[in-house]
Amino acid sequence: MTSLGQFYPVDSPVHSLDPRAKIVATAALAVGLFLIDSTTGLLFVAAALVALVAASRIPVRTFLRLLRPVLFIVALTVTFQILFSREGSVVLEWGFLEVHSGGLRLGFFLALRIFLLVSAAGLLTATTAPVALADGIEDLLSPLKRVRFPAHEVAMMMTIALRFIPTLGDEAEKIRGAQAARGADFSEGGPVRRARSLIPVLVPLTVGAFRRADELAEAMESRGYRGGEGRTRYRELRFRKRDALAIAVSVLVLLVGVML
Amino acid sequence: MDNPGIGTRPGGSLAVCCERVSFSYPGSERPALSEISLELRRGEYVGVVGPNGGGKSTLVRLLNGLLRPDSGLIRVAGHDPATEPFEVRRHLGVLFQNPENGLVAPFVEDDVAFGLENLGVPREEMRERVAGAIRAVGLEGYERREPHTLSGGEKQRVALAGLLAVEPEILVLDEPTSMLDAAGRGEILGRLEALRAQKTILHVTHHLEELIHADRILVFNGGELVANESPERLFSDAGLLRENRLVLPVVPRLALGLGLPATLGTPEDLAEAILAGARAG
Amino acid sequence: MRLELRDVHHVYARGTPFQVEALRGVSLVVEQGEVLGIVGGTGSGKSTLVRHMNLLLAPTSGEVIVDGVDATTLGKSGLRRRVGLVFQFPEAALFAPTVEEDVAFAPRRLGLEEAEVRERVSETLRSLGVGDLAGRSPFALSGGEKRRVAIAGVLAMGPEVLVLDEPTAGLDPASREELLALIRNLREAGVSVVLVSHDLDEVAEVADRVCALQEGKVRAVGTPAEVFYSDPAQAPATVRVASLVNASRPGIGEPVRLDETLGALRALPGV
Repeated sequence: MTSLGQFYPVDSPVHSLDPRAKIVATAALAVGLFLIDSTTGLLFVAAALVALVAASRIPVRTFLRLLRPVLFIVALTVTFQILFSREGSVVLEWGFLEVHSGGLRLGFFLALRIFLLVSAAGLLTATTAPVALADGIEDLLSPLKRVRFPAHEVAMMMTIALRFIPTLGDEAEKIRGAQAARGADFSEGGPVRRARSLIPVLVPLTVGAFRRADELAEAMESRGYRGGEGRTRYRELRFRKRDALAIAVSVLVLLVGVML
Repeated sequence: MDNPGIGTRPGGSLAVCCERVSFSYPGSERPALSEISLELRRGEYVGVVGPNGGGKSTLVRLLNGLLRPDSGLIRVAGHDPATEPFEVRRHLGVLFQNPENGLVAPFVEDDVAFGLENLGVPREEMRERVAGAIRAVGLEGYERREPHTLSGGEKQRVALAGLLAVEPEILVLDEPTSMLDAAGRGEILGRLEALRAQKTILHVTHHLEELIHADRILVFNGGELVANESPERLFSDAGLLRENRLVLPVVPRLALGLGLPATLGTPEDLAEAILAGARAG
Repeated sequence: MRLELRDVHHVYARGTPFQVEALRGVSLVVEQGEVLGIVGGTGSGKSTLVRHMNLLLAPTSGEVIVDGVDATTLGKSGLRRRVGLVFQFPEAALFAPTVEEDVAFAPRRLGLEEAEVRERVSETLRSLGVGDLAGRSPFALSGGEKRRVAIAGVLAMGPEVLVLDEPTAGLDPASREELLALIRNLREAGVSVVLVSHDLDEVAEVADRVCALQEGKVRAVGTPAEVFYSDPAQAPATVRVASLVNASRPGIGEPVRLDETLGALRALPGV
């Protein structure tokens, strides 16, 4: 159980898939979604995603809650699309604003695409432990090492971030308490006042984080760390037949969607 | 060095050797360490004490190559930490003061494996050594725990396991218990007791009671090595203790006040000695 | 001030699967002008308990009473000025560009005149032996200095009760003695001190009364001798030595402090 919030730990066939397979499938979906042009195609993909969510044994309500933050952005984007598109015939007029049929169509597609994309990404993070995600990303990026891309360093940074987020959270709580004990009030005043009242928490937290980073670097070096060269990995990612199958099925679904 | 051969022979009886080592932090007027010469022989358990800023932490970082001396010679297991830090770190492991900031991985067993990963040890062998190290510190069952859920003593034991997995002959402990509560200190000191027989240990601390069974104790003050004494001699020398801001723990203080040896460490030992004296008297 | 906790219960994360009952009916009094030591192992509830003293935490049930009045009826800021709480490793919360500014934070929040704020700041810094550090950056100080500046930051409020949560954690023994001397000075000045500590030896040296917590309940409360001799296995070294000797040679009495214990042991014939 990690404290990042997105990951929902249960036993399911989706959870036990290799993270690399899931990342690749999600990426393929992202590309594919924008190639699909028909309503039927998009609905077919939507049906496939619903089946996946069911297979992941994550309660539907929990899953929808994960998506809530995105709804606002979707609504905003779609509204702009509808209001500023000039394709097709005029359907509605209100002052200088014109809604065209083309705009409605594009808006609808955009909403559906974004929703499906976010659902797929949400499914990825909900069924894959953050550490596994980091490993998967590192593995997938490692061919890029040949062109000097710091794949190992990126993965190391992600792992360290995951390790320290709960610690920093506890530290922030403690500092808040200490400043409250000295009379600090974080809930009074308007937005500017409130932002300023956070300085006695943010400054020590940041200074403390830098000191932690220093001590951590010393500890890592002392334990023989010198970058990714020559390093082996304790954690294992095993790519199995079912993972290849998962990727194949996702690509198939997308092809069908495009054809529909 | 008088005999340049001794310090450089790997497996020789000299584990650590410093000859006239000096170091100043950039921008500082006073040297942090000044012409320090010392030897640590294999199997010894040596304590390092002294006021803050006296050079203890600097010494630790010079020994494992985090810092480079401005002048002088250092040899650890025959290697020079300034030019071969990676090699030195196979032979010398450091347990730092802050249990939190030494743990790098999201899970206990991954962190214990960190040092082995750095050495490029194959996965199969890693699994065995990690399991062994976790057993050695009594943390079986903790493999998938996350660091932030552990107590201070448990975190420090994880860090110790991480060191032991690499199997260094020399352990340097930099105030390993100062941020722990009484329970945590007991946990760590217990494990260290068990390691005395197999390792060469350099133990930096403020708690003199931890060094009662040390072979000898080095006192650093103002960047200089001002004393190299047995625990009995150091504990009984009130002047030396005062000059170096050292405070005797309760039991030795009582012992000295009653004319008994200062190296009676536990209340039980002291009570026994008192009763023996009272019976005889 | 007389600070009383009456049958205080505290449950964390109520109603969730992570529910924890940290305090299970603790009743305790902090009398005017005393040093009260609070001891207990990890999980005993020490830190949770002291956070109720300035209502940083509110009891799930039970009351916090200040001079006979329910503390929840007093304004929070008023209470927090009168009961100053210093967290463990308080230097982690230092934030201002200079030591002066940092220590001035609390007095300023009280709405005092700038002149009075300055006076309080310099007086408090002086009483903690760090007066000459006023213009320095708090981040450039040594560990012991930072600790004292952080404590000054709370003392500058002029509290009637000062609650210290493990104030000597991580300090070298010499700095520890200096801090214990500070506690004695505060008592002399009429400030009550609540000292939470896992170090029984330091509690033995300085406390007037001791409260021992175990698993969220009060195991024992009373004078140091009463509390420590009731369970010598969980006691300071002085008490352990004295009990062991007493078992074979009764008549030492129940000394707690180092000087008392030395005196009592010396009085034994043959020693």
